[in-house]
Amino acid sequence: MFRHTPLRYAALVLLIGAALTQTFTAGYFGLEILIEILILGMLVLALDLVAGFGGMVSLCHGALMGVGAYAFVTLNVLVGLDPWLSTLAAVAVTAGIAWVIGAICARSHGIYFIMATLAFGQMGYSYIFESPLFGGDDGMGGIDRFDLTSIGLDLNDSKTFALFCLAVLIAVYLFAAAILKSGLGRSLIGVMHNEKRMKALGQNTWRVKADVFGLSGIIAGIAGVLAAQHILFISPGMLAWTVSGEALVVVILGGLGTLVGPLIGAAFFVVLKHQVSEVTSHWHLVVGVVLIAVVMSRANGIFGWIEARYGAWIDRRLTDSTRTETPEEILTDA
Amino acid sequence: MLETRNLDKSFGAVHVTRDVSLKLERGERRVILGPNGAGKTTLFNQLVGELTPDSGSVHLAGEDVTALSVARRARQGLSRSYQKNTLFDGLTVEENLGLAASIHTGHASRLWSDCLSKPEVREIVQEVAEQVNLMPYLHATVSEISYGVRRQLEVGVALATRPLVLLMDEPTSGVGPEMSKGFHDLLNNLPRDLTMLIIEHDMDLAFDVADTITVLNYGEVVFDGLPEEARGSSLLKEIYLGSWENA
Ligand SMILES: Nc1ncnc2c1ncn2[C@@H]1O[C@H](COP(=O)(O)OP(=O)(O)O)[C@@H](O)[C@H]1O
Ligand SMILES: [Mg+2]
Repeated sequence: MFRHTPLRYAALVLLIGAALTQTFTAGYFGLEILIEILILGMLVLALDLVAGFGGMVSLCHGALMGVGAYAFVTLNVLVGLDPWLSTLAAVAVTAGIAWVIGAICARSHGIYFIMATLAFGQMGYSYIFESPLFGGDDGMGGIDRFDLTSIGLDLNDSKTFALFCLAVLIAVYLFAAAILKSGLGRSLIGVMHNEKRMKALGQNTWRVKADVFGLSGIIAGIAGVLAAQHILFISPGMLAWTVSGEALVVVILGGLGTLVGPLIGAAFFVVLKHQVSEVTSHWHLVVGVVLIAVVMSRANGIFGWIEARYGAWIDRRLTDSTRTETPEEILTDA
Repeated sequence: MLETRNLDKSFGAVHVTRDVSLKLERGERRVILGPNGAGKTTLFNQLVGELTPDSGSVHLAGEDVTALSVARRARQGLSRSYQKNTLFDGLTVEENLGLAASIHTGHASRLWSDCLSKPEVREIVQEVAEQVNLMPYLHATVSEISYGVRRQLEVGVALATRPLVLLMDEPTSGVGPEMSKGFHDLLNNLPRDLTMLIIEHDMDLAFDVADTITVLNYGEVVFDGLPEEARGSSLLKEIYLGSWENA
């Protein structure tokens, strides 16, 4: 079951601290990188929710984020709807589409699930790419960021926008953690461990998976709206399957099924990408090598490795010190 | 409480269930005996809906449930344990029981509250843990407990949905005779109004708990009656000493 261990709290505090430090010390380029990390962080939380806790490895989450972005821009720029209403509607549309995809794919497993989600993602990509209404290949511009001047915030300022994205990411994290600690989230974890038994106990497992996929769509939709406001331009490339693939790489790199891990993965991935691409254009190669190293290490990503190390350290400290304490009480986290 | 009428099932040329009709009254404890490959597990799979019979019907508390899904039947009070442990491996004993209990109470699908901490759920977990002797292991994960304790949990999880009818597929398979005996004592202490259908490999152990006995051989009911009658039955002896021993 999902738990917040002291190590996870510590990692979260460190991550927030690092983000704040970066916000107040970095220049324009540094802030752009930070914002990229924060938005990717939302997408990978959405993906970890379904893949890491429900075994639903999705290759359509990038496309879902794209749907959120396109729905927002369509309503806000083309229709001229209020930006907040547009956001609400865009997130609802993304969640609805995600729920339907989840409901349809929920009966398939493993590689078939991955292929089915990939097919849905590609359908979205092709549709947007070929549709003149959504600007087709040219994409859409004319996007404005939220107007928060009434509370004294100018989101066109990178620093303020970064802080805003950080606040949203924290909210999204709390939302994901709340889902996992709810009855529905417990059921999801049960389904991942043993779907057959969950059915035999009376749970409608199909519904559990579809519902969580839909909730994950809410997060992907929010990421999409912010991505559109970040770059102020959207193109069909947002829905390309490589975006989903990259998100999956980040989740695995950081630590599948830990929530905190994928955030670390996002920071690591984006920073690595920018650092390496300054030296060579073959940054994919370097990321590939790192990913292989992480996978071969058999640890559950970067954070999984840290957790295993920490666990071993606690273990040693316990056996070294007095035997009056019961190790079970400290080590029950699974 | 639970009834089957003329159930029939074949896997290709293998006829595994032949015209099986069974009837369990409320509170009845029926043991199914039969050699390996007699079709006992396959019968269970059809009762709970994991397999669809070729023909015939299953009735639960007077209602025809043949067309209902596994989950629907479970929600109507049918629960089973498996011959091969089917647990939530990464979770603790308490979480295994809690998950089952919260599906029963309806808390397992809710979004804004944690099912495991609900008083109704905790109460069931506590009660079941006492019923199947799991109290000392509540905080251990499945991988940390021994095989015998896992067998207890296997039945505990099935019990935690507070079923009307409990089906147990060889609950003592793989555990020693000592522990099997203890297990049967534990079954005997379950509420008297719980209807139980138990697959048991060992005939002597079966007599510990059975009100009634059904013997399956080659997918067919070859005996249906009281334990005393079964004990004297020459047919049963033949199956035991014949195919059974050689199986
Ligand atoms: N899914 C299946 N496909 C084909 N044959 C099966 C299947 N399940 C069981 N059988 C066959 O049906 C027969 C009865 O099996 P089973 O019900 O497991 O017996 P028992 O539980 O009495 O030992 C066996 O011959 C077994 O090989
Ligand atoms: Mg069997």
